[in-house]
Amino acid sequence: MKLRELKLRNFRNYSDVEVQFSPSINVLLGNNAQGKTNMLEAIYVLALTRSHRTNNNRDLINWENENAQVYGEVEKELGTTKLEIDLGKKGKRAKVNQLEQAKLSSYVGELNVILFAPEDLSIVKGAPTVRRRFMDMEFGQMSSRYLYNNSQYRKILKQRNNYLKQLQLKEASDKLYLDVLSDQLAAYGAKLIFQRLELLKKLQGWAANIHAEISQGKEELKFKYVCALKKKQQTNENDIYTGLKELFEENKDKEIRQGNTLYGPHRDDLQFIINGKDVSTFGSQGQQRTSALSVKLAEIDLMKEETNEYPILLLDDVLSELDDNRQTHLLKSIQDKVQTFLTTTSLSGIARDLISDPKVFNISSGQVVEE
Amino acid sequence: MQYPEPIAKLIDSFMRLPGIGHKTAIRLAYFVVDMNKDDVAKFSSALKETKDKLMYCSICGNLTDEDPCVICRDKTRDQSTVLVVEQPRDIMVMEKMKDYHGLYHVLNGVLSPIEGKGPEDLNIKSLIKRLQSDEAIKEIIIATNATPEGEATAMYLSRLVKPAGIKVTRLAHGLSVGSDIEYADEMTLSRAVSGRTEM
Ligand SMILES: Nc1ncnc2c1ncn2[C@@H]1O[C@H](COP(=O)(O)OP(=O)(O)OP(=O)(O)O)[C@@H](O)[C@H]1O
Ligand SMILES: [Mg+2]
Ligand SMILES: [Zn+2]
Repeated sequence: MKLRELKLRNFRNYSDVEVQFSPSINVLLGNNAQGKTNMLEAIYVLALTRSHRTNNNRDLINWENENAQVYGEVEKELGTTKLEIDLGKKGKRAKVNQLEQAKLSSYVGELNVILFAPEDLSIVKGAPTVRRRFMDMEFGQMSSRYLYNNSQYRKILKQRNNYLKQLQLKEASDKLYLDVLSDQLAAYGAKLIFQRLELLKKLQGWAANIHAEISQGKEELKFKYVCALKKKQQTNENDIYTGLKELFEENKDKEIRQGNTLYGPHRDDLQFIINGKDVSTFGSQGQQRTSALSVKLAEIDLMKEETNEYPILLLDDVLSELDDNRQTHLLKSIQDKVQTFLTTTSLSGIARDLISDPKVFNISSGQVVEE
Repeated sequence: MQYPEPIAKLIDSFMRLPGIGHKTAIRLAYFVVDMNKDDVAKFSSALKETKDKLMYCSICGNLTDEDPCVICRDKTRDQSTVLVVEQPRDIMVMEKMKDYHGLYHVLNGVLSPIEGKGPEDLNIKSLIKRLQSDEAIKEIIIATNATPEGEATAMYLSRLVKPAGIKVTRLAHGLSVGSDIEYADEMTLSRAVSGRTEM
């Protein structure tokens, strides 16, 4: 898919701009604090209805205004789709071809993006929340079922945590209701974990190949899903369900004492392993970078496999963070297939000869000028 | 200048209604000023009567102006099934359909710890008592919404009631009538498949 046109109204520091993009490579060029990341963020919001760097809608709306709008036209195999996100004081509205969508799962998936920013280089070594977020965002885009199960899971988790607090403070005492919440959480938790395992298996297939290529065949990259369930409890959704139920049953008193749900996909993690060794503890900086890059590039292929369309790629200041060999791999794998948006303060750090015919946009204080 | 006190009070009252903001409240208040006296009197007594004459049925929890309510008093209805709903207004919807002829029980909400609603805050005790004392009841149909909270409430009820040997069923959720499979979203479809019935 390709994002052909983007219109922003009162989004961050853009008051009113309209841009036509190239179907191949778009370079957003400008000094610091001019609005390069803001534009990538707008594309990200258009795809996922939420930002990658704030949970507060207000931050996205221009300081002097009350409403913001992001509008885009997406070209797909089956035609053009018009997407619109309206942000206001009372929340947001998402429209597909002018029709408002009540459910997130019926909007997300219309435009698929993969964002690669410097902080993604820390996916290997960063906190577990980074990797859980990674799985939730990427898998949610590929599968509306994942998105739905995840949002149900989060709702039940909130209720269960709240009820555990009430039990802890002795404001409630009904254990039958706790059992019901545990069963419900285990049911949705099992769906999520099983889907994660399936998608990770596929993602690993792609990532391992890319990683082997970048490391000239010296390194074998693998993923390991880290959770409290034993290996043999992870074979199918039903076993996971039973396993989670057992965990809740065994740790009932502990969870009540702490007033919190201690097991389930919201606590799980993902481990990267090179040649049998955990990358976060034993990997060099370079290996961590290569792993992060391999995963991001693998996502492109996985998304194509799952949705039949290539996603679009957003590269925020990341090209200059990669050495020539890695830059080459990145650019080679997107060439002629993946529409790409990359931000940079200067074209000099970039292997320009690799970028065929980019469209360059000069960005300065929320104004966009095509070069 | 400030609003004359009666208008200020009226604006304030309208703003207590859901979905009505300041501007709409002002518009409505001035509209009332122009209404004829009879209509205003009817309006205000209608408002008052909802509080003075309405009560909850002591058997099923439905809103009524007579206790027990018309449905509970109607002996021609099927006394063996009780349909459990979240709100009194759900009964109105079911009754319009005219296909259900049994009895009802209104929970008055769903279990939701976040909103401070536990089992003792719903009409669950009265349901259990009813099932224990009324031998005629053979089945309860749980018709809570297909939200996580509605599902949890249904599951809770069924575990509570089943040991007493009463049949518990859940209202099927799935495709709406007349809707095309092609246009149903994936979740609705998957519910419809898991809730399929034998033919
Ligand atoms: N809600 C808002 N309303 C108006 N301006 C905003 C808003 N949010 C952020 N800005 C402005 O946007 C600018 C930051 O833009 P952005 O993050 O896109 O910079 P950038 O071009 O990516 O810079 P860098 O190269 O440093 O990453 C800041 O100057 C900030 O003041
Ligand atoms: Mg930036
Ligand atoms: Zn009644």
